[in-house]
Parts: sequence; structure tokens; C-alpha cells
Amino acid sequence: MGLAMFASVVPIRHPVAIDFDGRTLQARAGETVAACLLRAGVTAFRRTPVSGAVRMPYCMIGHCFDCLVEIEGQGALQACLVTVTDGMRVRSLDGAARAGHGG
Amino acid sequence: MGAEVQMPPSPDADVIVIGAGPAGMSASVDLARAGRRVIVLDMQSAPGGQIFRGLEPNLAEGEGADALMAALGPAYAAGRDLIGAFRTTPGIEFRPGHTVWEVRTDGTVGWLHGARAGYLRAPHVVLANGAMERPVPFPGWTLPGVMTSGAVQTLLKAGQMVPEGRVVIAGTGPLVFLLADQLRRLGVRPVLLARTDRLSEQIKALRYLSLAALRPLAKGLGWLMRLRLAGVPMRRGVTGIEALGQGRVTAVRLRQGDRMVEVPCDLLIVHDGIVPSIDLAHGAGVRIDWNEGLQAWQPATDDDGQAVSAAGATFAEGPCRILVSGDARCIGGAEAAMAHGRHVAARLVAEATPESGKAVQHSLQPRAFLEAAFPPGLSAPLPSGATTVCRCEEIEARTLEALIASGARDMDHIRGLSRCGMGPCQGRHCAGTLARMIGAQDGVVPGPFRARPPLRPLPLGALATLAGRDPRLTEIVSLDDKPVVSADV
Repeated sequence: MGLAMFASVVPIRHPVAIDFDGRTLQARAGETVAACLLRAGVTAFRRTPVSGAVRMPYCMIGHCFDCLVEIEGQGALQACLVTVTDGMRVRSLDGAARAGHGG
Repeated sequence: MGAEVQMPPSPDADVIVIGAGPAGMSASVDLARAGRRVIVLDMQSAPGGQIFRGLEPNLAEGEGADALMAALGPAYAAGRDLIGAFRTTPGIEFRPGHTVWEVRTDGTVGWLHGARAGYLRAPHVVLANGAMERPVPFPGWTLPGVMTSGAVQTLLKAGQMVPEGRVVIAGTGPLVFLLADQLRRLGVRPVLLARTDRLSEQIKALRYLSLAALRPLAKGLGWLMRLRLAGVPMRRGVTGIEALGQGRVTAVRLRQGDRMVEVPCDLLIVHDGIVPSIDLAHGAGVRIDWNEGLQAWQPATDDDGQAVSAAGATFAEGPCRILVSGDARCIGGAEAAMAHGRHVAARLVAEATPESGKAVQHSLQPRAFLEAAFPPGLSAPLPSGATTVCRCEEIEARTLEALIASGARDMDHIRGLSRCGMGPCQGRHCAGTLARMIGAQDGVVPGPFRARPPLRPLPLGALATLAGRDPRLTEIVSLDDKPVVSADV
């Protein structure tokens, strides 16, 4: 997970909790999954299907597709476009999708 | 098949607007005030676009967000009235969280919302899907910890968070100074502001300085002065940038004149100006032209935003019902986008007044100065060697160089040979670079990869249950090509 890369400048008044790879993370109600993961210090959102390189969001506005994660069992969703919900289950992606593995 | 004649579906609205940023909101509000029914689709959960991203929740936060609002400045808070009007004007149906994966020139729009998808139709479609940051293929730009300035601004506005640790900002243009100043106000002092632009460019740009450019110029000088007072180290004329690190950026290397400098960092923020998002217009079959000055593609439109269909076969018949507005048409920033959104609305309700057109012209006047003063820097040298061009498929520059050297010139041919542009982003980050590489050989920059719907990933389940299909196009015709199996065998 590494050091925190981002820190809140406004206290989180309405927290919700999501599960990321088995870890419980606090999120601000209404924010995107990508924002939540970055605040929690996640730098590896996925490993690429081609070389296995680690990726983290680059653009945060839906263009780069580097923030792809699995959300509630659906694979390869853009974390920067999905709003967190309490209890949401999020998993990092590890290379190419495999049959019977998430989506 | 029945004998009844299938009718085309009736329109869902008078106008469909794609994008609830400054252009889309302005157009929608004026259209609705003139009695038009407008459906507005946006990928995000709230209106505002990227410039006014998160403004509603930040205002609702009250005192807790005062410091953040102060840092984001009056230009951000200025979106309050427009968002308020957008929320309250009757006749606007706002559909947040909707991704658009197809647009046709006949006014058909394919949408995806969660696991549901469908089509909408209107006599007019306004593309107000904004801009994206110019892709900057330099060594290491795919490393975690390299982010665009827009990404960091999004995290500021919508995540209410600032970067920690050592921050380097590299690139050019007003957004670099704006972001650095916003971070400074929130107590984050970048360890380096590495500018690719040169004083000589700014001196040359002075001949484009119009009265209208004085205000942005004064703003920019204000940011610069405050950054200098805060002691933010700044270098100019920086070239040869490289992000270094294993699995995460740990340093940035750059050249200034003959000197090579290596600066440790935890976050490398890059910015090389913004370019129109052409994905929807191009996918719809609108002609896309290369703008040499901007070093980017732009949809072909007239001043009113009416799009021009590309030559060749299309998915639709009849006149082109698409208009393009705001930064998606022509980079000009929020004020220009609002002026153009209003102008588009005025044209559509046939109350065109010279004032709305004049306002558009006036709002775009500072652009000539800004373009000359801050030309593309990070992306100016074409990538070479092992530098990644296509982030999704991890295609290196040397692979594309070899294909071009062997005679390949056609974008789609090279895509087929190399997989460049075949990943989930559908070429949004590599098409322009590949086209410039081809252009460097031929002197003519080709158009983007051929685009086909879905322009964004669409789950098969959503595709199988599409709402709003055109019954004329969905007749099931039996080809009688299967052997008939009798029941008593």
C-alpha cells in the first residue's frame, strides 16, 4: 500500500466503508471509488494484462482507463466514474481476466 | 413477420445534451427557458463538468470547506449560479451517471447507466463533452504517481484531498500555475515547477496580446508572483523529462540547457495543455480535422457548432443533427464554453442574435496569446525507443517506428498490426501521437483510428437488453439455414 499519497483537507463527516482486497477503507459518501483508494494510499489499482505492470489513475476523468478495478464482481470498471456505496466490494485487477474469475 | 409498417421511434426530447459542464448546462438552461424539453446525460454523479467538479457538495459542506473553497478561488465558486439554474429550470431532465457509447448523426444516442443501456433520440444532439489533457508520451509516464494536473484538481475538488510528500509539477500553460497556487494555499509547496515554455515564447506571444487577454494575463502574473514569494523553485525551458522508479515514481530527470537534473519526488504532476475530446463526434461520423496550431484534432463545425459529416458511409441517414459546443469544439475555457452553449441554444430556438455570437468571439480572444505563449512542450518531441505510446496495450514507440519505416502509413493498418489503440481507452491516449509520428514522415497528419460503437466498454448483459431500439432495425429474420428437427424423432 505504501505511504499515503493524498490527505483530506476537509473532515469526513459522512463516512461509508468499502472493502478493497479484504481491507476495510473509509470513504466519503458521494465520492468515487478512485478518490477513496487514493486517499487510503493505494498505488496499485491493477496489473496490466500485457506486462503485469502496476497502474494507478492517471487522468481521473474517465479517459485513461488506468483506474480499472473489479466492483461487486463486475470486472474492469473505471474507479473514477463509480460512486462508493456502503459495503461495496472492490478488488484490484491482476493481469488479464480469466474464465470464472470475477467477470 | 407481420404486415404492419414499423414506425421509427418518436423523439424522447427536443434536444439531447451530452455533458453537464459549462457549455452543456448553459445550452440546457437557455433551451429549457425557451420551452424546449432537454435530456442531459453526464458520466459524473453531479453537474458541473470538470471545472465546477464537486462544487455542490463543497458549498453544502459550509465552514468545513472554507479553506478549500478559498484555495479553489472565485472562478470555481462562480459556477454556483449556473448549476443552480440547471437544477431548477423546468424542462431539463438530468440523467447523471450515464456513459454515452454511441452517437449517430440522425440524433440517436446510446447510453449506459450501471447495468442498463439503451437508445434515446432527439432532433438535435449537442455534444458538450469537453476536453482532455494532451497526452504526453515520455519515458515513465505510465508509472503510478505520474498524474495529470486535471487529475490532481479533480482530487482537490471532488475528493477534498491534497497530495502529500514531494510534489513536482512539470509542463506548461496557465493550469500549471493555477494548480501550483491552489496547492500553495492549502499548504502544499511543490519542490519544483519545471516549465517547458521559454521567455522568448512569451515575448513573441505579446503581439497576440489583445485587450481581452489582459485579464487572464494579470491573473497568471498574480499566480506567478505568489509562487515566487512562497519560494517555489521554478525552472524554464526544461526538456527531456523522464519519470524514474520501480512500481512507483521516485524521481524525475530533466534537462535544462546542458545540465541534467534529477529531483526525488512522490508525485509527478504533468500538464501540456488541453485538447478537445473528439471521441463522440468522431464516433458519430463528424469530420475531424487536424489543427496544426493546437497540435490536436478538432471536430469540423461552423461557428454555431453545427457539425459537418465526414465523407463516406455512416450509420445514419438524413441531415447531420449534431452540434458541438464548448471545449469539445474549440478550446477556450469555461467562460468561452458558457458563451458558446448559450449561442447554440439561441440558434436552436431561432432567436439568433449577433450578441451571442459576438460573446463567443470575445471569449475566445485570449486564446491566440495563450497558445503562442505556452506551446506544447512535454509532447513536442516525438517519443522514441522503449517509451510507451499506447498505455493500454503497452506499445512502445520503436514498434510503431519500425512499422512506419517499413512503409505502413494507415492508422487502422498500424492498429491491426500492432494493437496500438485496441485497449479499453480506444486510442484516446495514443491516436494523436501515432498520427504525429506518421505526419513526421509524410508531412500530413492523418485522421484518428476508425471508430465503431461501442465507444466505451458496454457489458454484454446491457447490450442484450437494450431499451429504445428502433423496431425497423431489430426485425428478426429467420434465415432457414438450420435443419428442421421433427418432434417425433
